[in-house]
Amino acid sequence: MRLRRFAYPFVILLVLLTARSTSAQALDISSGGLPTITGAVNGSVTGNADVRGDLVVTINFGEVSPLNPNSIVKVVVPIALRSNQPYQVAVSMSGLANANAEAVQASDVGFGIQNIRVLGGAGKICTQSTHVIHSPFNNDPANSASVGSNGRIVYPSTLANLSGSTTILNGPQLSKNNSSIRQQSDGYVLDAIFTLTPQFFATGISSATLIFTISAGPNVPC
Amino acid sequence: MPRSTIIKSLLITTLLLVTVVTCSGQSTTGTVSMSATVSKFVEINSGGAVTLTGNSGGGVTTDGVANSPLAVSINLGELGPSNTNNFVTALVPLKLRSNAAYVLSMSATVTSSGSTANRIGAADVGFGLGTISRTGTGVNTGGTDTNATSGDPTLPANGSVNGTTGRYEFTAVRSNLSAFSSATTALSGPFIMNAVPRSNANGLTVPAFFAVKPQFFENGTTNISVTFTVTAP
Repeated sequence: MRLRRFAYPFVILLVLLTARSTSAQALDISSGGLPTITGAVNGSVTGNADVRGDLVVTINFGEVSPLNPNSIVKVVVPIALRSNQPYQVAVSMSGLANANAEAVQASDVGFGIQNIRVLGGAGKICTQSTHVIHSPFNNDPANSASVGSNGRIVYPSTLANLSGSTTILNGPQLSKNNSSIRQQSDGYVLDAIFTLTPQFFATGISSATLIFTISAGPNVPC
Repeated sequence: MPRSTIIKSLLITTLLLVTVVTCSGQSTTGTVSMSATVSKFVEINSGGAVTLTGNSGGGVTTDGVANSPLAVSINLGELGPSNTNNFVTALVPLKLRSNAAYVLSMSATVTSSGSTANRIGAADVGFGLGTISRTGTGVNTGGTDTNATSGDPTLPANGSVNGTTGRYEFTAVRSNLSAFSSATTALSGPFIMNAVPRSNANGLTVPAFFAVKPQFFENGTTNISVTFTVTAP
């Protein structure tokens, strides 16, 4: 009897936890592989090589004054997405509020989305809807940098295009299965590309934090 | 161990496992943190070709090339009375660029083969910086540059014949190389470049004047070596 008094609440708790697990798997964002950095001087990028790991990436662009002789510092961050329903991805930013106009600004950091691709055999291939990268983020900023009228480098899309929580992508269901645990091959991967061109910026250290969020998106058919 | 205790232990273990799976499960958010560093940067380059006037013989041995490292060599030619010109003047264009306040300093050495007080010395070589120009896309046109020299040393206000000795002297403040026997500030000012890439070729340009008045100097050869250094203190 005493065991039953213990077991019943336990089973209820177990069911609730299982239900929570099941509902949490509907939408998932994780690392899409190891990020890369090129053109940096004293820069680095760290992330999770395992696509089952959380998306926690730290980018150090390094020196971006003319002491860096490279034409551009480019970072590619693979991001994995999983869902059993239509989804959307939004990004919000904090930081990069330099009062000095000659210091690094959000508009100096190119930001684009490219290369949406299936993550292994369990990625859902829908035929009635496509994965849509929202304007103006569908570009590789490293390939489309230009010099503005004031001599400063401009990109088609930058972190300055993020206003509050900004939707950058949406589409149909991403995963075939409904596993409660991240698999190595059950969704899609995209590349988030960040660029910063070394310039005669005002001296200092600048930093920013981006939060990528996946949520239920417009109800598009698969 | 009682059977009920074993079952309880199993149930609790299962609960913990489920909890772990739940906590390490999927996530709807991910984080990308980024940072970048901008250090002070200054540079000095040639502002273009050297202009040599009033010379008798001599010439520009190694000319300046705009936006290339400054490495100019000039033969001032004859500086004795056989050169009938008022002054032999070399004008060397300099180009400075920085993302921070800058200081341009200069040091000079003058060595002559002569052995008397009539040989050419540092005080006989006039020096000054001319008009400072901040123009072009990407150049910070705000702020004021401070020229610590007296400008063109050949200007009448900057020199004259010594009434006692008869020797021509560059008398204005920092108007001859004797004032630069060690590194001495010649020019300073606020940051020069706005946030533009290094490929932008604009900058602050200023001509450096070097002048010698031909006189009855002791015969011989003289070498003048000048080093410009720009820093961001």
